[in-house]
Amino acid sequence: MSDWVAPKERVTHATRNGGANGAPVYITGTGAFLPGEPVGNDRMEDFIGRMPNGCSALGRRALRWNGIEGRHYALNPDGTWRYSNASMCAEAVRRALDAAGLCVTDLKCLSAATTQGDLLVPGHASAVHGELGAGPLEVASFQSVCASSLMAAKYAWMSVRSGEATCAAAVAGEFSSRWFRPAFYENTAHVDERGRLAMAADFLRFTLSDGAGAVVMEPQARVDGPSLRLEWIDLTSLAGQFDPCMWAGATASSRVDVDGGWARLGPAASFANGALALQQDFSLLKSVIRAWVGVYLEKVESGRIDPTAVDHLLCHYSARSLRDEIVGLLEATDAMIPQDRWFTTLAESGNVGSASIWIMLDKLVRSGRLHPGDKVLCIVPESGRAMVGFMMLEAVEQL
Amino acid sequence: MAALRTVDEHEAQVAAVMRRLAVVWTSFEARLEATPLIRKLNRGRFELGDYHAFLIQLRQQVKDGALWMSRAASNVGEAHLELRSALMRHAVVEHRDFRLLEADFVASGGELALIQAGEKNIGSEALSGWMFNEASQPNPFGLLGAMFIIEGLGSIKATDWGERVRDRLGLRPEAVRFLLYHGENDSGHIQEFETMLRMVLPSDLVSRRIVRCAEVVARLYALQIEEVTA
Repeated sequence: MSDWVAPKERVTHATRNGGANGAPVYITGTGAFLPGEPVGNDRMEDFIGRMPNGCSALGRRALRWNGIEGRHYALNPDGTWRYSNASMCAEAVRRALDAAGLCVTDLKCLSAATTQGDLLVPGHASAVHGELGAGPLEVASFQSVCASSLMAAKYAWMSVRSGEATCAAAVAGEFSSRWFRPAFYENTAHVDERGRLAMAADFLRFTLSDGAGAVVMEPQARVDGPSLRLEWIDLTSLAGQFDPCMWAGATASSRVDVDGGWARLGPAASFANGALALQQDFSLLKSVIRAWVGVYLEKVESGRIDPTAVDHLLCHYSARSLRDEIVGLLEATDAMIPQDRWFTTLAESGNVGSASIWIMLDKLVRSGRLHPGDKVLCIVPESGRAMVGFMMLEAVEQL
Repeated sequence: MAALRTVDEHEAQVAAVMRRLAVVWTSFEARLEATPLIRKLNRGRFELGDYHAFLIQLRQQVKDGALWMSRAASNVGEAHLELRSALMRHAVVEHRDFRLLEADFVASGGELALIQAGEKNIGSEALSGWMFNEASQPNPFGLLGAMFIIEGLGSIKATDWGERVRDRLGLRPEAVRFLLYHGENDSGHIQEFETMLRMVLPSDLVSRRIVRCAEVVARLYALQIEEVTA
């Protein structure tokens, strides 16, 4: 094929397996913070509120499809907030540092990710640093959707790897439930004359929830506890070919227009036409899922990922929600990682966007299931504008 | 060399070819997303003229499809009679499908004479010419790669496109039968396709050719869609 073929591997093999280009990097501590008590499916609307026409049939379907049975909200039932996004992230960082046997003063670099921070400006990392209250630090903010977690992790990993920092934390947090309160939809184009919320918005309302997770990275493994060597992080964006699939800040028809962003019409008009709500394009999502699988299969094909060598697969997309055709394709191509190696907290912790991967990793580390030499593959698909991230870890023997 | 290979090696090569084809497919699908025609469909700007232009090009390609498949069947040697039968059956099933496209064209307000007089665009010309050339080779097993791409369009994309065209243009289902009907008929095609692959593998030469043909067809098919203009 002539010019552009596919997101070809750009593997710099020197960076593989802790090669010659830098120091090995270890995750020496993990931490998760889930606000409040677990909220079952029957009580969700006590927190996110009820739309005028009662509970949503689509929302119930979304739950069945996702297999989510519980989640946590940073909201109180009256709509007031227990935490901010940044304060949840700060708590996750403290817990990760504590697990590593370190404290805030040891931290040299803070790399933070979120889908939507507490303020529009400045960046999320500054807000988390403010909540942590530590002295001068290097910070970096990453805003995207789920894959922002691995963008932040890559920054932390490269900082330690290059010797720029001796201790870096990557944190990700979400407080999406606050955008799901009825006041964010009422009197907008997303609600029809019978008071029903459009599917594009309702699905996410019943899918996403709140929390934060963090990891601490250092150039040496712990001497008194488990560590994970971070072998590589690969991020692939296909935004050059796909339109936004999950977005906020524009209507569906104006999402790619040069003058389509919410600020063009101003806040009041953009609120009314539904531009401010978080939305999902379902027909595009089907293509995006196949595109993720394509990137994964390329990594299998190039040898970057050996499915038979993966002991634990962490993916915040549940196996049961992958359609049969995708599972059939993975099996037909010798690329399926058997479902008994999939480790997930999706059912009990919900889909916490960018934070999910760290919440799952924290649970895996604390589960006692990890043995020295185990390979842990983390896959973070992001429907935002067709992106997918991969991270390979190896549990190391305690010295 | 086939006799020296084990059953496991045979299956591993089938899986490896499937994997390479799936990668070609997904990069093809992403390329389609970036074409002007599909972007219009995604962005709510698809008009009746776009649908008609699309049907005119599909007709060219569908009409030729059964013909190159027949030609390919006639070039399959005696050692692969089962594959020859499969290709011939396939050609019989599909060789009248272009009439359905004509009916959709008319049911959506187009004139029959217009679609029948339609000319291939540059991508359709290239695709058709290349397919007949490949089908004219002895034992043209590489065309299985072409079938993977074209059948994938039927089973994966057609219904979705059909539903969006129908909803966007407010058409009756009778005017979108080709797109809607293909999706219904092509389920389970992965298994059927694997069966055909097993008939021609293991062979390193053949597996390379199958993947190469898939790459060429994916590129030329996308060129055909890129060139669709109302």
